[in-house]
Amino acid sequence: MAPRKNAKELPPAPSTLVRRPSSVGSPLPGPLSISIPPEERDVIKVNNYSATELKNACDDALKRYLSRPVLFKQIHLHTDVRLAFGWAGVFTAAATGLYGWKTDFEKSKPGVWAGFILYLVLTSLQTLYSYFVEGDTVFVGRRKTFSKRIITERITISSRTLPVPSSKLSLKPSPTNSPSYSLSINYVQSTSGGKSLLAKGRTQEAKEYSAFFDEKGVMAQEVFERWIGELVEAVMEGKGA
Amino acid sequence: MFSDELKAFRRLGFRHFLLQILNFASVIASGLMLWKGLGLILNTESPIVVVLSGSMEPAFYRGDLLFLTNPPGQRYHTGDITVYRIPGAEIPIVHRVLETRDVVIPFDNSTENRLKLPPGEHQLMLTKGDNNHVDDIDLYQGLEWLDRRHIIGKVRGFLPYIGYVTIAMNDFPQLKYALLGGLGLLAIIQRE
Repeated sequence: MAPRKNAKELPPAPSTLVRRPSSVGSPLPGPLSISIPPEERDVIKVNNYSATELKNACDDALKRYLSRPVLFKQIHLHTDVRLAFGWAGVFTAAATGLYGWKTDFEKSKPGVWAGFILYLVLTSLQTLYSYFVEGDTVFVGRRKTFSKRIITERITISSRTLPVPSSKLSLKPSPTNSPSYSLSINYVQSTSGGKSLLAKGRTQEAKEYSAFFDEKGVMAQEVFERWIGELVEAVMEGKGA
Repeated sequence: MFSDELKAFRRLGFRHFLLQILNFASVIASGLMLWKGLGLILNTESPIVVVLSGSMEPAFYRGDLLFLTNPPGQRYHTGDITVYRIPGAEIPIVHRVLETRDVVIPFDNSTENRLKLPPGEHQLMLTKGDNNHVDDIDLYQGLEWLDRRHIIGKVRGFLPYIGYVTIAMNDFPQLKYALLGGLGLLAIIQRE
């Protein structure tokens, strides 16, 4: 399978690339090389007018596309931390509530204070983690391939919704004045346990939601996946390398 | 009717399901903690109560919401409106303080304990509802005076009519379950 040449023109987007000469024999499979047969697809239909639903649908499609077995394995660290903090908070709240209900008010005060403070600590930790560490990240994936040595690739994707630029604002909904889906992809390829760096890439691109959703809200999954695949392969190979 | 949502769930996986349940559970947990925290800060078991009877008319009517505080060192004066609960009675009562007695020397006559107690902490009180003809002695279940430890708090403010929601949910428990069920369904299906 030949590496993709950049015959299609990619839209101008800021991207930085660092590439070291590597002796990797065969190119690592990119997302576009594996196709999904049409029968396996579910129809995705969302509310066109809700930017949240559009973004969530795109994020979910992205995760499903990149978590296929040959491609990246999703690392669920952010989700697991959020689940751990959240459920710990819920259980402390429940335990404190139960304790306060069963015991006398005066006797229960130290226990309820302890539970209350613990709940506040857990909730603030969860909020801080979500805001600072997780941020906009929607997908963190890893892949290990064994060509001549163990190559570990790590990809981090974050997404945002960009609102309609004020120059295009108008009351009539049309494909040109729709909000955009902006993706930032960070890619690192390393070997021997992350100690030597083989390749690193970063890119950022935005495209209007109207390119992926028709007027009824049905998602054109092949178009979306092709866009994602091109971006990921570009960042994996290095533009113009 | 829910086939779209069920399909979406199967697609998104188990973690997503846990996250959605967490959304609902954390709403309930934060409400509970808000209540308990308010009770701790205001030093009262139940910072917000609903008036159930008409014994304090024309000041409070049935269905009013009352806000209570119980500062530990402060004395209660004649004329304060208090909410108290006698051990053995299940519902608290909202009435006005008629008489107070300050206990500054403890009852037992031992010479070591001849220290003066701070004035607010061991008061004895007699109460009466504004709309009642007699004071509350019959309600005290054998006690002659109310002790500070029976008092839940002093009324600081009120909101009229809001308490009817709680009265309705207590009289018709199906309403409570329907509300909870609806909230849960909404939290699980929607994503933020």
